[in-house]
Amino acid sequence: MTTKRTSLWTLAALAAGLVFAAPAGAQDKPAAITIGYLNLVNAQLVTKALGLHEKESGVPIKWVKFGSGGDVNRAVAANQIDFGGVGNPPFAIGVTRDLPYTGIFVLNMLGPVEALVVRTDKNIKSMKDLVGKQGGAPFGSTTHYLFIAALREAGVDPNSVKLLDLSPSDAVAAWMRKDIDAAWVWEPNLDKMVKSGGEILLDSGEMAKRGYPTWDIGVVMNDFAKKYPTAVAAYLRAECAGIDFWLKNPEETVKLVAKELSLPEADAARMIKGTRVVPCAEQITADYLGTTQNKGKFADTMLATATFLKDQGRLPAVKSLADYAGFIDPGYLQKVVGK
Amino acid sequence: MSAADVVEPSAPLSRRARKWRLGRERALTGLTVAGLFLAWLLSTHYGLVNPLFLPSPAAVWTAFVRTATEGYQGSLLHEHLLASLGRVLTGYVLACAIGIPLGIVMGLSRDVKAVFDPVIEFYRPLPPLALYTLIVMWLGIGDTSKVALLFLAALPPLTISSMQAAAGVDPRFVKAARSLGAGKAQLFRHVFLPACLPGICTGMRISLGFTYTVLVAAEIVAATAGLGWMIWDASKFLISDVVIMGLFVLALTGVALDFAIRRCERALTPWRFR
Repeated sequence: MTTKRTSLWTLAALAAGLVFAAPAGAQDKPAAITIGYLNLVNAQLVTKALGLHEKESGVPIKWVKFGSGGDVNRAVAANQIDFGGVGNPPFAIGVTRDLPYTGIFVLNMLGPVEALVVRTDKNIKSMKDLVGKQGGAPFGSTTHYLFIAALREAGVDPNSVKLLDLSPSDAVAAWMRKDIDAAWVWEPNLDKMVKSGGEILLDSGEMAKRGYPTWDIGVVMNDFAKKYPTAVAAYLRAECAGIDFWLKNPEETVKLVAKELSLPEADAARMIKGTRVVPCAEQITADYLGTTQNKGKFADTMLATATFLKDQGRLPAVKSLADYAGFIDPGYLQKVVGK
Repeated sequence: MSAADVVEPSAPLSRRARKWRLGRERALTGLTVAGLFLAWLLSTHYGLVNPLFLPSPAAVWTAFVRTATEGYQGSLLHEHLLASLGRVLTGYVLACAIGIPLGIVMGLSRDVKAVFDPVIEFYRPLPPLALYTLIVMWLGIGDTSKVALLFLAALPPLTISSMQAAAGVDPRFVKAARSLGAGKAQLFRHVFLPACLPGICTGMRISLGFTYTVLVAAEIVAATAGLGWMIWDASKFLISDVVIMGLFVLALTGVALDFAIRRCERALTPWRFR
């Protein structure tokens, strides 16, 4: 009885200590940085492979791989990462739900790196042919959003397709077993399906032309940014250096990406072609983040995405354009590129 | 009732003292529940916590009503519940049908035990999710893989407790029955079965509880209905009122299942509850 009581009190004291001790040690450098990165192909792989973050920040970096933006949102809600990356639908979900994070740079614009792959022997030539078929996409991600958008665009009721929540790697397993006939996922898993009896019906680049742009944005936790603004600047310098490297050294990039993902170089080269990485100086123009004074098109895309998700019964309400713009802060990047 | 069963007084208490004690225990339980609820109510009412992490009781209740009447992503709440119960009970009943006889035989024959023991002991400590990725590859993304995972979760507690119960039957009972001229069938029906039943019942209870905890893991991949899936999907979209409502439904259903199996236990082994 007594021992039980004592241990309970100790536990309570420990918990209280943890709560109060956390904000006490304010310094300009964190002890370590945790970066959540998406399992897809973009310049962050180069930044990671070259160790640019270690060089810029001078502290140990912990990389955590996430299957989709929905999982990143969970990690953000649980305060388990300092930096992360999400697509516009999970970002719209997180922002509408007031997650404590801010978008600070463009990871990539999504093009053919994400695509709807269909089983060749099922003779699927249009979205209409998917009626009654089994399809997969990671729910809450860019591709889930585009899958439904493409069905609606073609005049197909999204409920007439049996859409399952599958992470890209689970989608590959289901595809190999012929459990699904279609999946909208991203590289490197997309390629595995194409190679085993699949063909591309539609890709995210085509959907961007039709008015459904999708992108991945790099985010930082608000508390972290407030406490370590210099670490955020160092983080962006490293990411921008990675983007520069990607744009200027295509051959080296292919080698690095192939090694990071354990893929043949030819495959890596094709995946790299399907991704559009935006130079940092360009990111603060009206087509992307914009500036602190004049927010760019990203805010509009977020509003459009949130409105779409509300129509799907996935969000209870939509915020105002100004509210969404408030979750994008190009200020850090402006300082880094010197504008 | 259950608390009174467990607490064994050192000295026999008078009826009045026992009644008083029971009343006190119930009052304490009530106080805990009321205290937790009050803390929840006040902390959300005064905005002490972010509603994303802890929505108010009213929001959770609204989510309950909304899901029960309008549904969540195409299925009403009771449909989610039935989908989950169907999976759990199918896996569990299959595991009982195979695990209990297997356990008894393993308890009676060391050879049979030597055959099956390594298999069960090997996979028993594996986390269900790790096992699940393999099961999905083998059995696909349909209900078969979900039921298979629940079956595998249910099996070890059943087999192990049945084995121990069968191995622990007092040999004097067997000898006594034999000397009275009991045949094999009679020996099984009148000695082994009653002697094993309490142990088996305990195993069944533990197994059901464990199977139930694996439910969310089983419904993560490619489900479109089920309580576990509803909670998982809602957490993806950060719909925390549905998450918490789902957890309440899950917990209450778990308690109800446990209650049902305790009733069965009482009916099957009445001599233990006299």
